[in-house]
Amino acid sequence: MSNAVQQDRRSLLFGAGAAVLLLMAWIWALRFAPSEQHQGEVYRIVYLHVPAAFTAFLSAGFLMVFSLMTLIKRNANAALWAKATAEIGLLYTVITLATGSIWGRPTWGVWWEWDARLTTTLILALLYAGYLIFHSSMNPGPQRDRIAAALGVIIALDVPIIYQSVNWWRTLHQPQSIVRAGGSTMAPEMLVVLLFGFLAGLLMASWLLYLRFGNLRLQQRLEQYTYDAQTKGE
Amino acid sequence: MKRHMLQFRALLSQSIQAEWASAERWLSPLLFALTMLLLFSFAFGRVEPAFIPQLFVAATFLTAFFALQIAFSRVLEPDMQDRVFDQLRSYPIAPTAWFLSKYLLVLMIGLMILLPTLVLADVFINETTISFLSLPLFVIATSSLIALGALGVLLSTMMLRSNARQILYPLLYFPLTTPVLLAAVESSKALLIEHHSLGHLLSSWLGLLVISGIMYFTLSLLLFGELVKPE
Repeated sequence: MSNAVQQDRRSLLFGAGAAVLLLMAWIWALRFAPSEQHQGEVYRIVYLHVPAAFTAFLSAGFLMVFSLMTLIKRNANAALWAKATAEIGLLYTVITLATGSIWGRPTWGVWWEWDARLTTTLILALLYAGYLIFHSSMNPGPQRDRIAAALGVIIALDVPIIYQSVNWWRTLHQPQSIVRAGGSTMAPEMLVVLLFGFLAGLLMASWLLYLRFGNLRLQQRLEQYTYDAQTKGE
Repeated sequence: MKRHMLQFRALLSQSIQAEWASAERWLSPLLFALTMLLLFSFAFGRVEPAFIPQLFVAATFLTAFFALQIAFSRVLEPDMQDRVFDQLRSYPIAPTAWFLSKYLLVLMIGLMILLPTLVLADVFINETTISFLSLPLFVIATSSLIALGALGVLLSTMMLRSNARQILYPLLYFPLTTPVLLAAVESSKALLIEHHSLGHLLSSWLGLLVISGIMYFTLSLLLFGELVKPE
């Protein structure tokens, strides 16, 4: 069996495992986790919303790491990883916004509120979208990799400042209850479901990232072959 | 060091000459600002007196930011048209000198847009309780310009090779400058409406403005060299 086939098989197994874990996390969250005292059943969307939000913001960190690797080590693969990270980041940011909006309707009575964290997440979605549009609007090559990496660094470094400034500006969202000084305020039986969901979501994101990286690398090779064929033809 | 200074002076004078070759380049953002102020007055209609200062501070800064964005997005266009940009990339020019010359140009253009916009806003708003013509407000506006200008030069250089720069520039510029816009508007409101002192503001919104300025300037200075490197 060739290496590529073996690699494909391993990747599929990993993906199937991540999907099973994700399914288990959702069943646990929707069927067996205790309901919240004040918000009732609507609270269960948090088990999808919070892991998606963590992954979306975590992607910004990875975008910075891959962008710096592109700039410092001149690693062409790191540029592809950076683009794949931005795509996954955008996907998870959109999931965060959609689930937040669905939760907001029965809780706040509106689909959208200019709350600090909603606004920050929307800005993050715009930045990811801008990065991806910028990437696709440039001709392939080392110059695109360098410029996109510089943009990736700015976006990733700006995210904490945007987060803090918008937080100062307006906050309606409930205060941090999971990652906070003095420990989580969440009930342990809820927290364990949330952490399991986060782990499953992260595994799924890693698999999607790996798949997307493979696609982008293939696309890059095809572009190179086409370019080489054209130059030989000339 | 001396060589860098000479390069900086030569590049700055070339940039100023290219910018001043056509008055349209700095006049059109100013006319745009005037149009925006007019449109805001239509959009607001009759406003409750209590809300006037707050609304107009926000409208004035937003107008200035839009006008500056237009000016900054075009700052490297003359170089591209004359192919000066490609030639400069092949010369042994220090990227720091190149960046600083463009940055200073952007600050000059920015001031030429920002100051008349504040004067126009002061005249049009005709609100006796607030005045846009004060030294502390000028400090806030200039501090915003320091941050906006650095990011403006960097994004302008990034977008040079992009096919979609007309849409991409504002799409990236405005979300990235959110902290600057927020800090500028909030510190101006605190200064004009709540009458806080500059010293008090430095520990809150104005502090954020200064931090954003330092961050954007440092990042732009460090990354500019990567953007102009020949292939």
